[in-house]
Amino acid sequence: MLSVKNLIKKFRSGDTNVFAVNDINFTVETGAFCTIIGKSGSGKSTLLSLLGALDKPTSGSIEVDGDDIAKLGDSRLIEYRRKKIGFVFQNYNLIPNLTALENVMIPMEFNGVDSQGQRERAEKLLDQVGLSGDKQNRKPGRLSGGEQQRVAIARALANKPKLILADEPTGNLDSATGKIIVNLLKNLAKSEQTTIIAVTHDEGIAEQAAVTFKLKDGKIAN
Amino acid sequence: MGIISRGIKDAFRNTIRTVSITFILALSIAMSLIMLIALKTVQAKISNVKSSIGNTITVTPAGVRGFEGGGELLTTGDLDNINSIAHIAKTTEVLSDRLTPNQDTNLVSAIDPGSFGNRMQARNGVIISEGTSRQEINSKRSFTMPITVTATTDFNVLASLSVSQFKLASGQLFDPNTTEKVALVGQEIAAKNNLSVGSTFQAYGSDVTVSGIFDTGNKFTNAALVMPIKTLQTFSNQVDQISTLIVQSDSIDTISSVQNEIKSKLGDKADVVSQQDTSDQALKPLENIKTISLYSLIGSLAAGSVIIFLTMLMIVRERRREIGVLKAIGSSNIGIVSQFTIEALVLTLFASIIGIICGFIFSNPVLRALIENSESTGNIANKTVQIERGAGMMVARLGGSLDSTKDAFNNIHAVLGWQTIGYGLMAAVIIAIIGSAIPAFFISKVRPAEVMRQE
Repeated sequence: MLSVKNLIKKFRSGDTNVFAVNDINFTVETGAFCTIIGKSGSGKSTLLSLLGALDKPTSGSIEVDGDDIAKLGDSRLIEYRRKKIGFVFQNYNLIPNLTALENVMIPMEFNGVDSQGQRERAEKLLDQVGLSGDKQNRKPGRLSGGEQQRVAIARALANKPKLILADEPTGNLDSATGKIIVNLLKNLAKSEQTTIIAVTHDEGIAEQAAVTFKLKDGKIAN
Repeated sequence: MGIISRGIKDAFRNTIRTVSITFILALSIAMSLIMLIALKTVQAKISNVKSSIGNTITVTPAGVRGFEGGGELLTTGDLDNINSIAHIAKTTEVLSDRLTPNQDTNLVSAIDPGSFGNRMQARNGVIISEGTSRQEINSKRSFTMPITVTATTDFNVLASLSVSQFKLASGQLFDPNTTEKVALVGQEIAAKNNLSVGSTFQAYGSDVTVSGIFDTGNKFTNAALVMPIKTLQTFSNQVDQISTLIVQSDSIDTISSVQNEIKSKLGDKADVVSQQDTSDQALKPLENIKTISLYSLIGSLAAGSVIIFLTMLMIVRERRREIGVLKAIGSSNIGIVSQFTIEALVLTLFASIIGIICGFIFSNPVLRALIENSESTGNIANKTVQIERGAGMMVARLGGSLDSTKDAFNNIHAVLGWQTIGYGLMAAVIIAIIGSAIPAFFISKVRPAEVMRQE
């Protein structure tokens, strides 16, 4: 469902052009759990930004379910992010003064879901990621790192996206918790039929993925 | 959980910051409200004083004051000229003269000269030649007070008689336009000369009949006579002449234009003074307070806007990543801007409530402090006293107007109404919107991709 063709992203650094993403091509099937691996500066986060329509490519195409998001205008891109994409960040990036439940409800609010529907789905998702009971009403400051990342995953699933982009989802977690999170992502990819692309520098995580893209200097090395 | 509830929650996210900002903003709003109240109160007082002073213009011959000075009296030709001016509601003609006892009249003055009168007479140049005995000197220097005779075309215009009240104790008023040889006499002179209604006395070589006895509440004016204007003009050989013209404009708003018209028609021939001129000088301290209040109001509103602007700018910078995340998960710029604007509104409205309460409490004390500290207030009171110690009929009129102006300073109370509170809240909303407008621009410039790169 995801097809990337001749994708290029160029930045200007003084008098020099830097190709953060340099002519990348790949395809990913629906419901697959994929990883993108590479050293710092290899272009992983830039590629993820482009796939998530957080940034626009210099050239090339990104087709998600038949739509080339590289050609969408700003308002269409907002709609695309709202309906088709879920993000999981390394630092969780939860809203600190909202409860776990409220954090999961926010994307649904942006998508026009009524408040009752928001609450019901949010509770269900949090149960699914293993956060139930009174923990759902705690603010992020009172949750552990692993619990916060579970909330972030639940938030990413809120609007039933086609694609979840996870940027170093276990980067701030201990190995045991990291494994739990990766397993969670893998299972959700199957159960929700959502394609998950996780950026990581952890080879161990990459081994668990169906497909791994090795990035080097903006190109896919494998 | 919607934008509004998130905005409200965000306003109280950091308790210490919220309390600090609310306190500073409340001060600014309280000051704005106090200055607004002071401005409106002083404006209302100025209008009230001007209205109570009235729309009267006094036209006197240039160089003449009462029975002092020199020059030419006004004529009925001047009167016709003035009556052609627009916005004149009414004109009242006044003529004055003096009768010298034992010369022009058989009446005796009801006022003894005393040391004041004798000193004034000495200054009028009674010549004492060498060798004159002390007794002769004393007899030359002592004199009988003249008797003032006034004529007016309208008894209801008290200013024309230079009195603050005019009651008829007995008898009846005559038609001001009659040519009969009649007079109204004051209580003092009636008593001194045993006059009653129907009595006659000698004046200007004719018999004059007393048609009524009046009381003005003042010894000086109760020692005077009032005659029909045509009669007095004939008696005193001042036919078609008038010593004062009192002009009333049709409203407070037209008094200035009427005054200017009269000045332009009569030129150097007359002094044209409105009571507003006198009150303008006396009201200058209130005008100063009005100016101070206005500039302070503008300054306070500007300070409030700056406070909320800097606060929101700080908050937006602090939550840049959060804004990026919200955009990443599907929020529009409008949604985020609305959320922050609501946060600004909540802070401002919260501060407004406190500011309005403080404004209520401190508006009167601040207004009194502004009035008491106004430098000219004390001087105005002294000027009033000095003028009242001056001479003559003109003074009573001026004293009356300045009394009401003095009263203006003593009876100012801040008026606090729902309309003022409404203005205060509206100002708060405007401050919040202006203050969050530029930070909103920065919000729109936050790129979600930066959220990823900062990981």
